[in-house]
Amino acid sequence: MEGRLVPRSEAWAQAAVERAIELVVSALDVNELLDQVDLNEVLDRIDLNAVLDRIDLNDVVKRIDIDALVEQTDLGAAIARGASGAAADVLDVVRSQTVGLDEFIARWIGRLRRRPYTGPPGPLDRLRPGAGP
Amino acid sequence: MTARAGDALPAGAPVVIHESLQGKCAGFASRFAAFGADVGVSLGVFMLVLAAISFAATVLTGTDIAWRRGDTWVVVAYAVWGFVYFAYSWASSGRTAGMALFGVQVVRDDGTDVSGHRAVVRTLALPLSFLLLGLGFVGILLGDHRRALHDVIAGTAVIYSWDARAARLRFLSRQ
Repeated sequence: MEGRLVPRSEAWAQAAVERAIELVVSALDVNELLDQVDLNEVLDRIDLNAVLDRIDLNDVVKRIDIDALVEQTDLGAAIARGASGAAADVLDVVRSQTVGLDEFIARWIGRLRRRPYTGPPGPLDRLRPGAGP
Repeated sequence: MTARAGDALPAGAPVVIHESLQGKCAGFASRFAAFGADVGVSLGVFMLVLAAISFAATVLTGTDIAWRRGDTWVVVAYAVWGFVYFAYSWASSGRTAGMALFGVQVVRDDGTDVSGHRAVVRTLALPLSFLLLGLGFVGILLGDHRRALHDVIAGTAVIYSWDARAARLRFLSRQ
């Protein structure tokens, strides 16, 4: 009996509190509230360097879908303006098709050798950044 | 895997390459396409020069010069010109006209620019790869770093100098 009453009374209390919050929020004029807040003062209190120190910007950048960004923003137009016209387009197409052929050949060689192809080999050990002279 | 050929793409669209290839060892097709372009360029320039000499001789002396492919000195002149063309191009910028077209570059095996000495050695060793029934090129197909015999002899490697990622972004920006 008591076990049933306690959850029921809790539910009533919660409903009453939610209703009260709804009434308060609906009575609030958010614009007026914001007018009373001095955002400049708030911003002055924020130490941006400390905030940035806590953010791994490399991680943030990795999460950006550059392809989507270029397609959906003016960044694409800026890149297109920066590219040097029809000759560059032709070069891009010729080179990328040839690289595609490189990959095709390398994959077949990999199959024949029964060694899975994992992409074009990186530079020689001595070519890697940070390697000795 | 950095490149995927065969994706459904509009006509003329570049093969989808999601990563810059710069600094990675160049493949068989790129290298041979570049070499084919170089043979065409060097032969074209050589024939133009022969035609110019022939024209000048006709104008100045009134005698026609007939060039024959079998003439020893024409062959020797072409060999010398070919040597100068490849050695000078590799020594000065690491790439010939064909290599610039296909976005590949010769570097030393320590990643620095090719010196004049190595460029000359590489040019002299290049015919060896052909003379051994083409076996000198097998390293491009089977080697871990895609080096041909003349690369090994000269201590060089051929890498992609072209930024495939930037090309992909240029392509997307035009969509």
